[in-house]
Amino acid sequence: MEALGLLFHGFAVLLTWKTLVLMMVGLVLGIFVGVLPGLGGPNGVAILLPLTFTMDPTSAIVMLSCIYWGALFGGAITSILFNIPGEAWSVATTFDGYPMAQQGRAAEALTAAFTSSFIGSLVAVLLITFLAPMISSFALKFGPPEFFAVYLLTFCSFVGLGREAKHKTVISMSLGLLLAGIGMDTVSGNLRMTFGSAELLRGINFLVAVIGLFGISEILLTMEERLALRGHAASISLRVVLSVWKDLPKYWVTLLRSSFIGCWLGITPGGAIAASFMGYNLAKRFSKDPESFGKGRIEGVFAPETAAHASGTAALLPMLALGIPGSGTAAILLGGLMVWGLNPGPLLFVEHKDFVWGLIASMYLGNVVGLVLVLTTVPIFASILRVPFAAVAPMIVVSCAIGAYAIQNAMFDIWLMLGFGVVGYVFKKIGIPLAPFTLALVLGNRAEDAFRLSMIGSGGDLKVFWSNGLVGSITTLALVLLFWPVIDGLLGRVGLTQRTRATSR
Amino acid sequence: MRISVKAFGAATALLLGTPAFAGWEPTKPVEIVVAAGAGGASDQMARMMQAAIQKNNLMKQPMVVSLKGGASGAEALMYMKSSEGDPNKVLIAYSLIYMLPLSAKIPFNWRELTPVSVIALDQFVLWDNSAGPKTVKEFVAAAKAASSPFKMGGTGSKREDHVLTVFLEQKTGAKFSYLPYKSGGEAATQLVGNHTEANVNNPSENLEVWRAGQVRPLCVFDKERISYTSKVTDTQSWADIPTCKEEGVDVQYLMLRATFLPGKVTAEQQAFYVELFHKVTQTAEYKDYMEKQALKPIFLTGKDMVQFLEEDDATNKALMTEAGFVAK
Amino acid sequence: MSQTDIEIVVDDPTAPEDDSPSVVGSGTIEILVCLLLLALAITLGYDNWRTGASWDATGPEPGYFPFYLSLILAGGSLYGLVTALVARRAASGSFVTRAQARRVMAVFVPTLLFCLVTQFLGLYVASFLLIASFMRLVGKIALWKSLLTALVFTAIMFVTFDIAFDVIMPKGPLEAAFGH
Repeated sequence: MEALGLLFHGFAVLLTWKTLVLMMVGLVLGIFVGVLPGLGGPNGVAILLPLTFTMDPTSAIVMLSCIYWGALFGGAITSILFNIPGEAWSVATTFDGYPMAQQGRAAEALTAAFTSSFIGSLVAVLLITFLAPMISSFALKFGPPEFFAVYLLTFCSFVGLGREAKHKTVISMSLGLLLAGIGMDTVSGNLRMTFGSAELLRGINFLVAVIGLFGISEILLTMEERLALRGHAASISLRVVLSVWKDLPKYWVTLLRSSFIGCWLGITPGGAIAASFMGYNLAKRFSKDPESFGKGRIEGVFAPETAAHASGTAALLPMLALGIPGSGTAAILLGGLMVWGLNPGPLLFVEHKDFVWGLIASMYLGNVVGLVLVLTTVPIFASILRVPFAAVAPMIVVSCAIGAYAIQNAMFDIWLMLGFGVVGYVFKKIGIPLAPFTLALVLGNRAEDAFRLSMIGSGGDLKVFWSNGLVGSITTLALVLLFWPVIDGLLGRVGLTQRTRATSR
Repeated sequence: MRISVKAFGAATALLLGTPAFAGWEPTKPVEIVVAAGAGGASDQMARMMQAAIQKNNLMKQPMVVSLKGGASGAEALMYMKSSEGDPNKVLIAYSLIYMLPLSAKIPFNWRELTPVSVIALDQFVLWDNSAGPKTVKEFVAAAKAASSPFKMGGTGSKREDHVLTVFLEQKTGAKFSYLPYKSGGEAATQLVGNHTEANVNNPSENLEVWRAGQVRPLCVFDKERISYTSKVTDTQSWADIPTCKEEGVDVQYLMLRATFLPGKVTAEQQAFYVELFHKVTQTAEYKDYMEKQALKPIFLTGKDMVQFLEEDDATNKALMTEAGFVAK
Repeated sequence: MSQTDIEIVVDDPTAPEDDSPSVVGSGTIEILVCLLLLALAITLGYDNWRTGASWDATGPEPGYFPFYLSLILAGGSLYGLVTALVARRAASGSFVTRAQARRVMAVFVPTLLFCLVTQFLGLYVASFLLIASFMRLVGKIALWKSLLTALVFTAIMFVTFDIAFDVIMPKGPLEAAFGH
């Protein structure tokens, strides 16, 4: 068991006081941003990222990933107590969680949410632990054509599977790709789209854009809505925890199903949001008593939470192994890795064993510590919501500005952040999805470079993308995904997809 | 260990007989500006200096490394240019100060900055995969015989690595297709994975994969061999690598590593940093670093440095023009 | 079951009224956005054409991808423009009501001023001013509470970033007076 040896090595890397303290700090900060409306996982990580620039990469990623887990836990607190999903993936948790709280079963619902989060991420971490070593031996096979094929696959899956209007996804993605191209082109060494400006020379930093798109625009949107809320405070007694845990085995099918959905959607860029809804819907569909869902059924909390966490955790695997983020937060962590000089990709597992296994070990520890922490501190975090928004909003604005400035020490970036805030606000309101834009901004340059390096290597021959089994199958899969609506339509006409549809929906 | 290093630092400070600078000393944290991404050779050098200065108490204020590798380092150049008169920023420069203004028409001239010191010269080595040809002659023969041109990996376009590739083509008559990667590290791993046939990385960039036995050094682009003789791998030291001239390919190139202040700083401020970096070159950290990275030691300041820069600029300009990399 | 089940009630006295008239429809904004994107696509497309957008011996030139991406963006925005124009005939939802717009501006304008002040007086002064005035003027929170919160938050940020982590923030004359 090579993986186990490496994992224990990872624990050894982690078990220093400094790292453990950072884990706690990360978890507390994470729960904090998870509970606050208008912040959340990706935003919290993006804003706090600069704090870690002066740490060594392992401590930094441990802290950041703990912020991430904290945020995942925190999102559940507001969903259940106040019917406000702190995160998009917590929406499904409100369906049954809030009714439970109204019936005075808040403690039960919270315990269920935290426990199933824990189970979901544990399953995903186990998956990562045992798949990761395989990936490192796979590593060296990746040259420019393979990298390009994988980027293509990521982009195509967004265009082909997105639920938004197709032309809006196209607008969002092409705009992201265009902005990613501003600055110096590595392959030719020429400048492009800079219009002689020294500020545009370095290009548009992805993190600055994210802070604006998510942080600032979220405040504008939150402000627009009514901020009144009314909810239940709760503390969790050991007795409730134990009674919920005693019932756990009854729901093993739901837990297992949701974990599986989560892992699958986390690895492919479906994301935690899709996973949580799918987990909930399937639990309802397969239940003997579907009518009772939405009225405070504990299974309705288990199912989405397990799936969301499994997916949030599994999303880190493609990020580490291939440099392709499976979720928004993973994309920001990816940006962080590059800041610390770690090139995410297959070779990360070969070149930075300490880092990778330290991170994987921190997933185990972070989850255990996180579970204990949330179970004991719920009342404190719930009371954060009593702080008036008028005090929280300007603090978030300041944190965003600090985050944006610290990335490149450039005042211009603060203005850029403000600009992206407005863009994010308008785009969200007219239904242009932001995820493809973010993805394009972070991967655009790499995809283009990979394509052009492949062309230089092959002397301009496109057949290089089918030159071996690996690259050929990825490229073909990408094209299938891109044209999926068309293919699906054609197959449907022949009557082939009837059966698959019935089982998958 | 720490005590001995400190003692060593104090001893060198005494030996140098620090002349009492009545004048200037930084009052704010000093920013070391790195014109490359994290983990690259410049970044490592900046971190080494930061450590050397802090451990040996060479300066009261802390040093902060600030990475400005955007636009292949042009970001750092423009940042220095716009910081005129600010004595709290030091640039770690390399040959990009000559090449970028030529290839990308960036409005920058190193004469607008204040030169402090040249602290090292970096070597270039021709590497191939350890499964590939064993000598330069075999390598050239294989490259000529290949049906499609050999792929040569390197960092950036129209820069040192690219220039070397062009001259390698001219001297050997073989054809190469040059693949510009974002960093030397990437060029190294792509060579290990057999996606390129060779690269012309600096010693530090290929050190780890060489020690792992995945790549083989063929020759060094200098008129003499590297001086470090302690074993790096089981069988070889840096000094065991032949020069390219010995192997019949007469191509030479050395890259400067120098420090600059922004323009329009006072003479006292300049003198403070000259003194500071001179002390740095006397530390154990610096010497250790030079050997590990196989850098050529050198220390030039004042008139000597300007003369060196002028000559080096002319050489680089000639190479760039000959390679056809100067933008119209 | 949970013996400490206290209600948490947060009221929002300045919430936007639900019956506020719409300032502008979603359709109009969509048309505006599409026009702006179209203009951007044309500008960038032209610049890339100038840089070189053909396919030479060693693959695409630097402007190749951005040029065709601008075409795609232009196409997408044109399509969006047409659909928005067609949908305009039918009733389109409200983009923002007057009450909402007032509240959004109440955050946006201070944020804009904050960026301006940061540019000239440094981030910490700007941060103090933003938090104190926002709490006082928008949140109608007692003056002393506002000032104290702003001071404490700004101080924590200063200690965390400038002192503990050596992350240098933009600073102005006030910090310079204290030697930072």
